[in-house]
Amino acid sequence: MNAKKQKSSKTWYINPYLGGVLLGLVLIAANFVAGRGLGASGAAKSAIVATVETVAPAHAEKAPFYKEYAASHPDGAMKSWLVFQMLGVIVGAFISGAIFGRLKFKVEHSPKITSRRRILFAIAGGVLFGFGSQLGRGCTSGSALSGMAVLSFGGFLSMAFIFGTAFALAYFLRKNWI
Amino acid sequence: MGRKEIPKRRILNYINYKKMKPRHYVAIVFLTLGLVMAAIPQNTTHPYKLSPEALLEQVNSGMQYFSPEQIADMIISKDPSLLLIDVRAQNEYEEFHLPGAINIPLSDLLSEDWREYLDQDVRQNVFYSNSTVKANEAWMITMQLGYKNNYVLQGGLNYWVESIMNPEAPPTTSPNEEIAKYNFRKGAGMQLGGGAAVSSESQPITSPSLPPITPKPKKKRVQGGC
Amino acid sequence: MGPLFGNGIVTENTNFLIAFLIGIGFGFVLEMSGFSSSRKLAGVFYGYDTVVLKVFFTAAITGMIGLLFLSLFDWIDLDLVYINPTYLRSTIAGGIIMGAGFIMGGFCPGTSFCAASIGKIDAMFFIGGLFLGILIFAEGYPLWEGFFKADYQGIPTLSEKLGIKDGLVVFGVILVALGMFWVGEWAEKKFPREEY
Repeated sequence: MNAKKQKSSKTWYINPYLGGVLLGLVLIAANFVAGRGLGASGAAKSAIVATVETVAPAHAEKAPFYKEYAASHPDGAMKSWLVFQMLGVIVGAFISGAIFGRLKFKVEHSPKITSRRRILFAIAGGVLFGFGSQLGRGCTSGSALSGMAVLSFGGFLSMAFIFGTAFALAYFLRKNWI
Repeated sequence: MGRKEIPKRRILNYINYKKMKPRHYVAIVFLTLGLVMAAIPQNTTHPYKLSPEALLEQVNSGMQYFSPEQIADMIISKDPSLLLIDVRAQNEYEEFHLPGAINIPLSDLLSEDWREYLDQDVRQNVFYSNSTVKANEAWMITMQLGYKNNYVLQGGLNYWVESIMNPEAPPTTSPNEEIAKYNFRKGAGMQLGGGAAVSSESQPITSPSLPPITPKPKKKRVQGGC
Repeated sequence: MGPLFGNGIVTENTNFLIAFLIGIGFGFVLEMSGFSSSRKLAGVFYGYDTVVLKVFFTAAITGMIGLLFLSLFDWIDLDLVYINPTYLRSTIAGGIIMGAGFIMGGFCPGTSFCAASIGKIDAMFFIGGLFLGILIFAEGYPLWEGFFKADYQGIPTLSEKLGIKDGLVVFGVILVALGMFWVGEWAEKKFPREEY
């Protein structure tokens, strides 16, 4: 008998359609209880504003971005719905990773590129996404997904442009992935 | 002799369960629900607050009216629950208005500024205009919006002037209650200025004995972020 | 009845607690569906893994159907639910920049937090980049404030823009999504890649 070791089977994830339905239910619950959809970039924004307010309060009082934010969040930058939601996301993902045995420190990259290249692109992608999410007032979860669920025109628009641009640029970045 | 079984022709037989993938189930469920969604009419979440029958009943009962005597009585006794609302134009209001009345021209009735006056459950708002036409219009609109405690001055200012300001003395052969009514009107008229223009600087009646009106929280959209 | 917070049925603090619980559900479902892997996320653009497409559209459609059904039975007042505003220029520009960020980084903010919490180091760097990008936006805010606030259109819904009822829009989206699912399945067969 050949002692050839079989490559371990693909990581098991739940059926994507089931995942989608569950995600939709979470979305409905969020809208039902809090009257708003899910989101992500807003929490990062809160974190940045809170940090700047602590580290450089004088600057935060003068600069218009922070002033506008403080005006709409009188209780403090971090006391926002999204921040609590994101804390939950971190916990929930951890639990799921633990249950399904996916907890592992690694840099996930295509074998055709180095770790370092992947990390550089991750940072670059993050910078662009951070900037873009502020400009677009939402990321894929907050604007596209939650927006589509309430039939918002802005949601469909941002969905179309995010995915459209990514498809358009996919060819140029194919070395990173395939 | 074996007889070949003719399979019964049921729809379920055409669905080969082994070949059905999740997305087929998803598609079936979504298409069914989607068809239902496409069929339901728009805006089923905004029913009229009052059905036409209920509104007609209210109109016929005439329960929205306050007589001038009642209003005069409330003004004189400084009843804090009364708020007179003049629904005429601003210039007419400034020329003459009842003591303590505020001015919400009918055209501005639905503006947000006045909502907390109209949609509350502490005071009794009494609309008035020259006759009862505009006042009744205001009343019907606020009824349809589901606001409570809104009423109409019977006869409007025309009747008010006639009955309270310049009451007609009944012949001495009238029953006692007619005479009592006349006396009351005359007294009220004198108290209220008897036909002379009331100073146009009166403010809405405020009284410490009433609980402060907490405006019904305006139904506002929840604020969301990204 | 709903939204519970908008109608004053739950206090703000309860709302935050429930936000935490909903977040747990959100993170759990995302991770379970495989969104903690940048390779799966980027797969939709190359055809070898269309999980993003399936999950995203299924979730959006479930959400749409669910909310409309709830409002049909008066369980939720859709007037009080947040609809994100449309600022034409900044939404489009933001979308383009985000698309570029997506294909470069392989994550979006929500999924990057999921991935980071199970130990993916590239996700952690993505989050670092995210903060940097937001900081850049915040610091240079006066430069693009005008652009950011241009073309405010209020909160139009797609049904208002197209002039058709909500239900028909949902049905249309369902048809489009089902078409995309079939294309996705075909693409996965045609462009298989190994998992790393």
